[in-house]
Amino acid sequence: MSRHIRSVAFVVMALILVPFIVAGLSGLPAFGNYPGPYGDIINAIGTPVRHITNMVTGVNYDFRGLDTLGEEFILFASVTGIVMLLRGARGEAKSADALRIEHRRREGRSEAVMGAGRLLAPITLLYGIYVVLHAQITPGGGFQGGVIVFGAVLLAYLGEGYSVWRHVAHSTVLDLTEALGAGIYVIGGLIPMFFGARYLQNILPLGETKTITSGGLIPIINFGVGLAVAAGFLSIALELLEETRATGGDGS
Amino acid sequence: MSIFPYLAAAWLFLIGLYGVVTSRDYVYLIGCLTVIQSATYVLLLAVGYKLGAGAPIFADHPPGTPAVDPVVQALVLTDIVVGAAVTALLLSLALQLQKHRGTIDPDELKPTQD
Repeated sequence: MSRHIRSVAFVVMALILVPFIVAGLSGLPAFGNYPGPYGDIINAIGTPVRHITNMVTGVNYDFRGLDTLGEEFILFASVTGIVMLLRGARGEAKSADALRIEHRRREGRSEAVMGAGRLLAPITLLYGIYVVLHAQITPGGGFQGGVIVFGAVLLAYLGEGYSVWRHVAHSTVLDLTEALGAGIYVIGGLIPMFFGARYLQNILPLGETKTITSGGLIPIINFGVGLAVAAGFLSIALELLEETRATGGDGS
Repeated sequence: MSIFPYLAAAWLFLIGLYGVVTSRDYVYLIGCLTVIQSATYVLLLAVGYKLGAGAPIFADHPPGTPAVDPVVQALVLTDIVVGAAVTALLLSLALQLQKHRGTIDPDELKPTQD
């Protein structure tokens, strides 16, 4: 099909689609008039029944905890897919061996970049851990904090160079950490069942509101998500960076 | 005024779709897919918004203060992170395509012959 025909077909189909979009959008509540009641109920009961102050975390890890389990496994499947595609095509042995790239050249990095990386990496790491641990109190959680931790380790790559980064982000450690994170979620959900409760039902002691141990099961599975997200994204970065080495040479 | 967020969502969806249809490069196409995806974020957050209400987080103001819907925020938040991983999966597919077929232009790809 030529590009011209394709463009004409798009315009025609878009014009057919527009009335449906308009009809769908006009059925929505007017902007700024959220009708409720689901979100309002969660906002009202979250603090009394779960001792948490961040309701978004409450929805993610408690009220709709099973949905987040599904999301977590989409992430897990994506990371597995990337590792299989890239490492599988390249061969297992080359990926696991960090010593082979000990002398990868540090080309194209200015001292300013190195200094900024070294300065910012530990601060960012600390901030990421803080965001993970305070999920049920202030804005944050395992998903956001995990990505910040991932960013911190990438900053270490800028500051310390490739071989140091490869020693931090070792593929076996990352695989185990990601599996551990997903395992904490799945098994944390099973624990209530041994006490006659339902899967992921929050029967643990709820603790005192606004402390990092409050929320019962929430901080536990949230921490699992943090581990899985950080390790998963690091695995992705590791495999993609290995691709540049495989095609561009490692300069050693 | 009150329909602008919905119009923005519809616009993002259509412009992303246009990009997908006219793309000559899979990396470009994957970028357009994330534009379509962000249309759903704008739509969801717009549906849950309440005029004059704050964030659904009661760490520094007491529970009971007007707050927006936390459910749509939770949906968007997990999807942004998971979506980034799925985008990386698509990009690694494009990478493998470049390696095996030497092109990532959909028009130049012909069925494989064994």
